[in-house]
Amino acid sequence: MPMNVPLIGVSAEIEKIRDLIKHVADTGLNVIITGESGVGKEVVAQNLYHTSSRRGKPFVKINCAALPDGLLESELFGYEPGAFTGAVRKKKGRFELANKGVLFLDEIGEMSNMLQAKLLHVLQSGEYAPLGSERECRTDTWVIAASNRRLEEDIKNGIFRKDLYYRLSTIKIHIPPLRERPEDIPCLVDYYLKQYDPQLNRKTNDKLDEKILSVLMEYSWPGNVRELQNLLKRFIVMGDYDEVINEILYRKSMAEDLIGSETSTKEMPESSNLPDKNFVKFSNFSSLSLKEIKKKATDQAEKGAISYVLGKTNWNRSKAAKILKISYKTLLVKISELNIKAQ
Amino acid sequence: MDKPYKLLIIDDEAEILATFNNFFREKKYDVISASNGLDALKLIESEKEGFDLIVTDLVLPNIGGTAIIKIAKKKWPEMPIIAMTGWGEHPQALAREAQADLVLNKPFDLFTLEKKIIELIKK
Repeated sequence: MPMNVPLIGVSAEIEKIRDLIKHVADTGLNVIITGESGVGKEVVAQNLYHTSSRRGKPFVKINCAALPDGLLESELFGYEPGAFTGAVRKKKGRFELANKGVLFLDEIGEMSNMLQAKLLHVLQSGEYAPLGSERECRTDTWVIAASNRRLEEDIKNGIFRKDLYYRLSTIKIHIPPLRERPEDIPCLVDYYLKQYDPQLNRKTNDKLDEKILSVLMEYSWPGNVRELQNLLKRFIVMGDYDEVINEILYRKSMAEDLIGSETSTKEMPESSNLPDKNFVKFSNFSSLSLKEIKKKATDQAEKGAISYVLGKTNWNRSKAAKILKISYKTLLVKISELNIKAQ
Repeated sequence: MDKPYKLLIIDDEAEILATFNNFFREKKYDVISASNGLDALKLIESEKEGFDLIVTDLVLPNIGGTAIIKIAKKKWPEMPIIAMTGWGEHPQALAREAQADLVLNKPFDLFTLEKKIIELIKK
């Protein structure tokens, strides 16, 4: 059973989510929770579970992005002995383990098309067949899914099944990023400082002073609540206000540089492939980490290569995927992530 | 009619909701309306006697029309529900599975809707 972590915040958005949870938790209808990484999608799922009459029954979680396709399938549905080489004894799937309780499918947007179809079948019929089994098993599982992707976009690009989306999204709960609700930051800080340092008898005693709070509230928190949690943990270890402030100011300047460089990239003509011009693009990246520069450069190179091949194949995506030696699905993801459009 | 029919109308477009409200109030219906699924759900939860009929849009933020239909049918299995959907790609199949008694494609005229409402209530 998961911990009963409260949903922290005073913003209108969080109040609304609390209200939604209270009213839908006992309907047993499928829920999809969306929001950026680190906003607390699992916390909302746990709150749904604890508010519902399924509380006390199993709460089973699986991250669809963490496992390769075949493994995810056998994790979800289980298998019979002899289903495949190495399947010596029966393995219970998550649907069986979650029976009467909740199955939390995190990062549902990463599920393959084949598994999406299987999941749809379970949601429609309440039945599934373990691998290597002839018989269908019944399951009474409340499915709560979560994703940080824009699934509506994925549907347009053919990566996510529309019928599955409609079925999962009977109830939709969107958690806005932390930067859109800075008024939640003081109570999040209070809560986590007490969590991480129960004695709270050091310098943190009289909470964080106003000045620090205002710095925290002005920062954009790309990693959302998780980033705030990590920062507070470090703060407790170091016990030094100035360190925290400096860290935030540094991250802020980094973020601003990134935005600045993006605008300047847009102004550059697309056709400039000369190395010295690429160098110009990075000249104002001075305060960025090497990792981020690498990511930017890779993205740019990939975008160039994919656009080129798509142009040559007249946007025949399966042909392009073969030439680029990536899967069709990966290509679709890249097209949407790198925002590649037909010229 | 002796006692006015009690309708619950759910649509997130303010203009449509206002038009429906005016039309049915003028015709002496007892109209209760909600502009989102959560408000509608609260009305359904607190309503003791039930409605004569519910008209709901299918695509609503947070709590969708299919959820409303399932929840309302669980509470009042006999109460008819009309689902409205617009512009092609909406989940009619799910609405039927959720036991909407009728799915109407937008746009439709209000006289047609009223005729269907009376037919369903008297059935």
